[in-house]
Amino acid sequence: MKKLSILFLLFGFISVSCSDNDDNDPILDPVESEQMTNLPAPLTSNFGEPDAGPFTKFDFETGQITENETEWDIAFRGLAIAVNGGTSTGTNGEPERTGDAAAALVIGSTFNEVTTAEGLTFEQDSFMGYAIVKESDSGWYNYNTDTNVVSAIPGRVLIFRTRDGKYAKVEILSYYKDNPAEITSEIAFTDFRYYTFNYVYNPNEGGLDF
Amino acid sequence: MLRLFYGFLLLKCTLHGQSSIQERVSDSISAQNLEEVIISATRTKRQLSSLPLPVTLVSDDIIKRSGTIRVDEILNEQTGMITVADESGFEGIQIQGISSEYIMILIDGVPLIGRNAGSFDLSRLAIGNIKQIEVVKGPSSSLFGSEALGGVINIITTNPKSEKFSGQLSHRIATFNNQNTNIGFNQKVNNFTYSLFADRLSTDNFDLAPDLEGQTNAPFENYTFTGRFTFDLSEQFGIFASARYFNQEFVISPSNSEETDLNLHLRLDHNPSEKTSLQYEFYYTNYTTSEQFIDSTTNELEFENDFDQTLFRPEIRFNYTVKNNNTISLGAGYNFETLERTLFANDISFDSQYIFAQYDTKPINKLNVILGARFDNHSEYDSRFSPKISARYDISPNFSIKGSVGSGFKAPDFRQLYLDFTNTAGGGYTVFGKEVEVAGLERLEENGEILRLEVDPSDLGEPLRAETSVGYNAGFVYKKGVLTSEINFFRNDFKDLIDTRILAIKTNGASVFGYQNFNRVYTQGIEVDLSLKPFKDLLISGGYQLLYAYDKDKEDKIEDGTVFARDPETSQTFRLSMSDYFGLINRSRHTANLKVFYEISKWNANANLRVIYRSRFGLADRNGNAILDEFDDSFVDGYTIVNLALQKTFFKSYQLQAGINNLFDFKGRNPIASTENGEVLVNPGIQVFAKINYKF
Repeated sequence: MKKLSILFLLFGFISVSCSDNDDNDPILDPVESEQMTNLPAPLTSNFGEPDAGPFTKFDFETGQITENETEWDIAFRGLAIAVNGGTSTGTNGEPERTGDAAAALVIGSTFNEVTTAEGLTFEQDSFMGYAIVKESDSGWYNYNTDTNVVSAIPGRVLIFRTRDGKYAKVEILSYYKDNPAEITSEIAFTDFRYYTFNYVYNPNEGGLDF
Repeated sequence: MLRLFYGFLLLKCTLHGQSSIQERVSDSISAQNLEEVIISATRTKRQLSSLPLPVTLVSDDIIKRSGTIRVDEILNEQTGMITVADESGFEGIQIQGISSEYIMILIDGVPLIGRNAGSFDLSRLAIGNIKQIEVVKGPSSSLFGSEALGGVINIITTNPKSEKFSGQLSHRIATFNNQNTNIGFNQKVNNFTYSLFADRLSTDNFDLAPDLEGQTNAPFENYTFTGRFTFDLSEQFGIFASARYFNQEFVISPSNSEETDLNLHLRLDHNPSEKTSLQYEFYYTNYTTSEQFIDSTTNELEFENDFDQTLFRPEIRFNYTVKNNNTISLGAGYNFETLERTLFANDISFDSQYIFAQYDTKPINKLNVILGARFDNHSEYDSRFSPKISARYDISPNFSIKGSVGSGFKAPDFRQLYLDFTNTAGGGYTVFGKEVEVAGLERLEENGEILRLEVDPSDLGEPLRAETSVGYNAGFVYKKGVLTSEINFFRNDFKDLIDTRILAIKTNGASVFGYQNFNRVYTQGIEVDLSLKPFKDLLISGGYQLLYAYDKDKEDKIEDGTVFARDPETSQTFRLSMSDYFGLINRSRHTANLKVFYEISKWNANANLRVIYRSRFGLADRNGNAILDEFDDSFVDGYTIVNLALQKTFFKSYQLQAGINNLFDFKGRNPIASTENGEVLVNPGIQVFAKINYKF
């Protein structure tokens, strides 16, 4: 499990445009653009049964998978993505939501085109289901019943509010180990449930921009 | 079944013993041309060369010379017609880019039923006692009602003309141990005619995935029996009766399946005067399939799937000729349909009534106009009115223009209305037909299986509308000397196509699907047909179709900039442009054919070469954006199939035919099914056949 880091600096919008108030502005942390590869998201349940088993939890601040019960933002299990906010959807093995995380789905934009979380409606997990809808074509993925391949739908960007009110945008690239260019039927049946995704995390309190 | 078949052979021998006179009908291409008469276009006899509609006629002679034994094989060689498999692997014919679901199949003007997820498998239809196959392209719902959106294929049987007892017995053997035996005989006795035909076809399994375990195509064995009788009671009254029975067995040991198809057709013709004719018709058809899936290790029955569909249809038609060449046609009928199916909650029955009218007129000598309309009233969905107008103008004796505009519809089928199916083996999803979705969801709700509804509850149970289309055809015909040429521009606009949608999410995470009217698609293009007959024994013909077939809603989404793809190497997401959209799956931009038929009179032989081409086509979306685009790894490269057949007649009554289908052994590659363990082919490759035919 490697973690690629392509750090780049983005000076806060306010600090550039409102030069008059330079002295009063807090110094902003740089927005981080990263890639997470091969995050495993196994299920203990069999095909056709209700999903079960523990989620793999992820923390945007550290950019790492975590075992911590409270200090996580989003969590993965099979095709489901949970947020650390709201309540359980009712399946076995879901982590307890202790924070105020939430999610929104932007449809029809590339990752770079999504520059702010402003104006989006955020949802939390509940007994009605996950905030990121776990269904082919309605959420982040398309499931092809003929080829059994899960594709991350291009042009869909997931926006998360973290447990402590910060924002991150995520583009899922692959559901298969090592993000293969071609998903053969062999790969589709053996190397699935490994997430690779790009994300940009704004570590500043209330910072909505990416 | 085999015993019955041999009984039939025996009967032939007995009958033949009584007849000592032998007759050989000369077969020559020169018999066709101007005399060709079509009945599917207007439901009256019309000369092919005078019709205002795009029509393809395939004569018995061409079918026999080509060495084809099933209807799909010969239609596949005609311009703009192509046999394709749908997403589930069910084969059907595509015309003007319109899939098999929307093409009506008739025998002597009455419809065949029995489709797999909408596709009609034309390889079910044996070629025997056929006079010709007529294909009318474009919507014909104004005459035939539901299903006739993309066209009508009408198989016309032969009326015996000879007073002598005659017939044929043949056996054909081909690659994959493909064995075809058939026998037919016919005679006209005073005012009575009969034709009897029996056919047996069997084949071993063959494999499109030689590197993988198991066989892709199961062995099968099928039988067809047909009988056709006419009886002229008087100058004014005549009776036509025909029966057809088909039975097929597939064995994928230890599982097995059986398919039967029965058609009974009875018609009374009454011609009170030269200007008036009446037809009273009764038609009964029953189609059944029965499948048993047996676990190969435990030998226990896993599940059964039975399907039993019946249609009974009385119809009356009236034709009246006003002055000369102006014909009024009127008709009315009643359809009684029933279906019993394992996957349905109850047995289903449909009732529908219809009337149609047509006025075929020549207001001036050079102009022919046909106006037609049909009204269908149905017990389960909204009634439909389907008008059509077509016209032809002869600019000169050699050059004509023609055009037509017509509407077509397809009623929601039994599956879309009544399916009640939960796939426990395949993830626990549920599918409800429209008429049972409210009750079905309530049932799941009561069992605590529903997590949440995905649609507005007030939106449930709204009746499905029929799928509808408007088809436009316009073109030119030019004939001079040895050349016949025709060009046709077509456009078909479809709306309200029915697709599935998610109704609810179950507590097990699986979805509940229902049916809804959604899609708007179109197909448009150009068809060109050329035929050249430089001298009596040589016929050269060529055809080409250019096709654009797209989903309008998907085009709109691309225009809005909301459709993307991801570069598989760099994972970079980018916006698709219109030129990246390939269109509907399984459509080739270009299809073409070139055929040469040559008669070698002095040797009593003939030979032909047929070249069939289709360009690149895509099988599925594979990158998750729900459209077929240039970045999907699902394209089959364009390919050419070359077929060759030679035939020689010996001792007047014996014919020996040999041929090669797919001469250059094209196999292709299916990019979806192929894996690193082995390629899956598009075509099994070269097939050789030999046939002996005895005419008596």
